[in-house]
Amino acid sequence: MNILVVLRMIPDSAGELQLAEDGRSIDREWLDFQLNDFDDHALEEAILLKEAGGAKVTAVAVGEGANRVLQMAAARGADEVVALQSEEDAMISSREIAASIAAMARAKSADLVLCGVQSSEDVFGQLAPYVGALLDWPHVSGTNRIVANGAVLRVTQERGAGVAVTYELATPAVLGVQTASKAPRYVSGSKLREASKTPIGRATPESSGFERSAEIITLRLPVQGGSGENLGGNAETVADRLVSILAAKGLARN
Amino acid sequence: MKLIACTEGHSSKIEAFSLEMIAAARSIAQAGDEVVAFFAGRDAEGASASFGAADRLIVARATKSDVIPAETYALLLRDVITAESPGLVLVPYSANGLDVAADIAARTGWPLVSYVNEIKRHGESLTIVAQMYGGKILAECEMQLPAILMINPGAFAEAAPGAITAVSVQTIDADPALTSGKVKMVAIDVPDYADVDLTTAERIVCVGRGIGDEASIDLARNLATMLGAEIAGSRPVVDNGWLPKLRQVGKSGQKVKPKLYLALGVSGAPEHLEGMSQADLIIAVNTDPKAPIFNVAHYGATCDLFDLVANLSDRLRAGSGR
Repeated sequence: MNILVVLRMIPDSAGELQLAEDGRSIDREWLDFQLNDFDDHALEEAILLKEAGGAKVTAVAVGEGANRVLQMAAARGADEVVALQSEEDAMISSREIAASIAAMARAKSADLVLCGVQSSEDVFGQLAPYVGALLDWPHVSGTNRIVANGAVLRVTQERGAGVAVTYELATPAVLGVQTASKAPRYVSGSKLREASKTPIGRATPESSGFERSAEIITLRLPVQGGSGENLGGNAETVADRLVSILAAKGLARN
Repeated sequence: MKLIACTEGHSSKIEAFSLEMIAAARSIAQAGDEVVAFFAGRDAEGASASFGAADRLIVARATKSDVIPAETYALLLRDVITAESPGLVLVPYSANGLDVAADIAARTGWPLVSYVNEIKRHGESLTIVAQMYGGKILAECEMQLPAILMINPGAFAEAAPGAITAVSVQTIDADPALTSGKVKMVAIDVPDYADVDLTTAERIVCVGRGIGDEASIDLARNLATMLGAEIAGSRPVVDNGWLPKLRQVGKSGQKVKPKLYLALGVSGAPEHLEGMSQADLIIAVNTDPKAPIFNVAHYGATCDLFDLVANLSDRLRAGSGR
């Protein structure tokens, strides 16, 4: 089985986001970029499928820091790594890159395309259904378990409230991974150093083929604070206040 | 213009957000417009009995599967779009909607904006407010009709439930599409709540990514015990295997409404807020003063969560005489 897994670099979710001067984008100059968390799980699921039944895993990364994350992917078990060029200092729109991923899936004779179910920059639509529709392959998003039995996939999808639905489908297919069957593995420094020699292929993007979805007029920060009370940053005074708040509401003890 | 509100259900249950989709469509419908609800599933009667706020209901009735795979849902919806030529299609941000919205966008070529909170209409164009970056940024977008929107649950108040008149209901047989579909449902697993049911818990201590590592969860667990609370986690904590899935709060976990919700190191992504923003008392601790959790918290603190847990535990221990 040939698996293509997509790795998108996005602004660090824990970092502070500031608006750029144009008011339509975020200021990327001092941002840290990291692998989209869901794509990390997609990579892990790809490697788990390879370990379970044999597969060739090709990782394609897009965005700032792609080379670094591709070395990590190689250290974790990806067989081939490719950096997809992207416009500098622009958000990674899944609608824009879908045609490139679909073309690469064909070029690599992929049986299965894996990507994270969502990313923080997919406001114009999610990658798995775009790629699935472009290839006219079946797609399922929100998976938390993928088992391959030859060309038949058994896929479990989270539906909320703990309800999980299991589907069966044949490859070729596109899956949007929510959670890998096991938590993403840790790679040692020595494995990373070894993988740093892995040659990184280059791919140039295809035209998206879609009309622009919408124009972002302005970005803004949500109104902060709501109506809540700020108890401040001193742990001792916060603890004192919380004890009296909980006591007043009869919530301190059973 | 026709506006199609996509609704959902599985087994014998209509999803509550379905009525929000009808309300969202209704909120921008103008005189002469028609709000058409589309439902695919087993519970065709439930749809007819609930979606009276729509002008018309198209039901794709399934008898062969408790869940309509998104692939089949999208295929049925495409036929409806072809037949109706709507100006706008509203899809819920749900497990199903995540597969349906972009599939339809790719196959029609229509514009799509996801994670939508607000819609304003100006003739043939829309102004949309959508969430990006885990709710840390709001994007105001302009788009042309026809278009597809994926709407956040909770962004619109539910339309009043009520029966729709029989003459306004059009029924399609979904079974042929289910039979020929490439994606087959083979099982539904509903969790066993014997161990823990967060939805009935009166007090919850929830840990987020800020807890740092698995070992630190014990500190929060001890505090929860002192408060008579259940321990819970946000998605990253559960994905890391630090807490079992049944203890996850949020979109893909449980929706909870306890008397006390103490959030430790939870940033408050929209998917998390969807599961807990209705709690009676929300106390949030996060070192990032811009964390979205503070937008729903009644009390917020920006101190180090470990310092707070230690101080609070000391006081509760002293107060109980232990």
